[in-house]
Amino acid sequence: MNTYKKVAVATILGLSLLGTTLSADADKGQRIYMKKLKSVCGMSGGVFAAKNDQATWADANDNGTLGETMTEVCPAGKEFFESSKFQNKFSSHLYDFVNEFASDSGNIPSC
Amino acid sequence: MKKIVLSLAVITGLFSNINADDMADMKAEIEALNQKVVKLEKKQKRTTKTLTTVKKHDAYDNVKFGVDFRNAVDVLEYKDNKTGTTVSNPSLLTSRLYLTMASSPMQGLTFKGKLAIYSMWGAHAYEDESQPSLKDWAASSKATDTVMRVKEAYFVYSNKLGTQPVSVSIGRRPSTNGFLANYRENEKTSGSPLAHITNMEVNAAMLRLGFSRFVEGSYSKFVYGRAHSGDMNNVYGTGSNPWGPYAGDTAVDDYDVDFFVFLGDAYNNGQYQLAYQWAHIFNTKGLRLSDAKAKAAAGEADLAALSFKVDGIGDEISDFLDDTTVFVSLAATQYSPKDGYSLLGSTDKTRGYSYWLGANVPDGFTDAGKFGVEYNHGSKNWTPMTWAEDTASGSKIAVRGDAYEAYWNFNLFGVKYLPSQVRYTYAQHDYTPNVSCSGWTTPKEVDITSSDLRFAVSYRY
Repeated sequence: MNTYKKVAVATILGLSLLGTTLSADADKGQRIYMKKLKSVCGMSGGVFAAKNDQATWADANDNGTLGETMTEVCPAGKEFFESSKFQNKFSSHLYDFVNEFASDSGNIPSC
Repeated sequence: MKKIVLSLAVITGLFSNINADDMADMKAEIEALNQKVVKLEKKQKRTTKTLTTVKKHDAYDNVKFGVDFRNAVDVLEYKDNKTGTTVSNPSLLTSRLYLTMASSPMQGLTFKGKLAIYSMWGAHAYEDESQPSLKDWAASSKATDTVMRVKEAYFVYSNKLGTQPVSVSIGRRPSTNGFLANYRENEKTSGSPLAHITNMEVNAAMLRLGFSRFVEGSYSKFVYGRAHSGDMNNVYGTGSNPWGPYAGDTAVDDYDVDFFVFLGDAYNNGQYQLAYQWAHIFNTKGLRLSDAKAKAAAGEADLAALSFKVDGIGDEISDFLDDTTVFVSLAATQYSPKDGYSLLGSTDKTRGYSYWLGANVPDGFTDAGKFGVEYNHGSKNWTPMTWAEDTASGSKIAVRGDAYEAYWNFNLFGVKYLPSQVRYTYAQHDYTPNVSCSGWTTPKEVDITSSDLRFAVSYRY
């Protein structure tokens, strides 16, 4: 391995490890919606997210009523939204996703 | 004792009088305040409603721009094992800037675009040797540059005909870095086609029919477009018929290269996705035998692929398996020359085959980092259309031999706006490297190896 390679490898590895941030992920939320909810709700993730504006999703998330608000949009998903896995594992990612594509977000889903 | 009781009675009497008056005042004040609060609430509701309306309007009443700015260094090494000859480049430095655009003036209608600059540090701005002094970094500072590349520009209109979802689109399609190639490119979503057989910019019209009501996630697309406009008189009329700009003149056996593509998802439930594609190319370029003229309209080509992806192994067995993706893809190409021409060095039909395996798993020590490995194999006549595949050493999907690849995608400093990559691609070419995917090149037995180590850092927002 020549010097150039060594320097590049060391730099990239070093910089990458300087910081990692644990955070919710809108893309992960989109994947969760695709897997768990798309067929249940009968609508695409973009349509689901655009059922409310960002303020409504944010209020629901802040008040701990995201599951109820999502159930209003997709009654068929009630069981999922009331599950402990939704509360503990999925809600933060799904919130990021619906917030990103809310009706007043200005973001346009790819399909 | 009596005095004390009397005093308490007087005090109590006084306070009860005071409290009664104050209470009445306070009650009136509270009522007034309540009325004010009700008014304010109504006002706030109206303001919120107006604000939401304005925000919705404002959010979509524009063309939304995005940036994908990548800088990379590629360390390239090649070796012809038959002769022992080696060539290398210890530092190919490049910058690639995408300006993405999106707008949606009404429900069901969207426009998307992508302007691109992809330059090598210190390279000549143009391949034209007549301007050798104009470097890539000087072009935008001199009054000589009129070039802005359009990588994508298309609109999509979606509606329903009865119960049938229909979309139509026209323009320069999102036809690069398609299905499965997005993992190695560190892109979260893929382009439209199956990257195993097509990865190139094309202009085309598209009709999409959704069949999700029958089979989950199922749809088909019908695409017709043109990859090459045949020889014609130019706007100055300097061809053989100068009175007919943009028409006539096929003296060099140079016809339009049109294509028809049928592709879609047979099934997609978000975890299991089976995608298919067939492409037919008219007047594909080959060799005219009478005078050995290359790039002549020599016949037709057919390309087909079937790709299967599993996004998440099992169902919530572990976070690692949930975030793991594996895929397998099979593909074939067939080139059919017409009389008097050859394709891939043959006057008969030639067929090539390929398979592609890949896995993408969490790196386990950064929040969103992923490791990936891929393997490609291609036979002697395997010739897909993957010109736009972003591998400095040439398309590894088009390899006629074996290609191995490993990559690490991660966010620099843990910042999601700084997606970065370390990638190593190694190819063993058993037949002539498929660098330009050209039908006029004869695949011959060779023993060439290539390696490409890339470090890339992007700003994406």
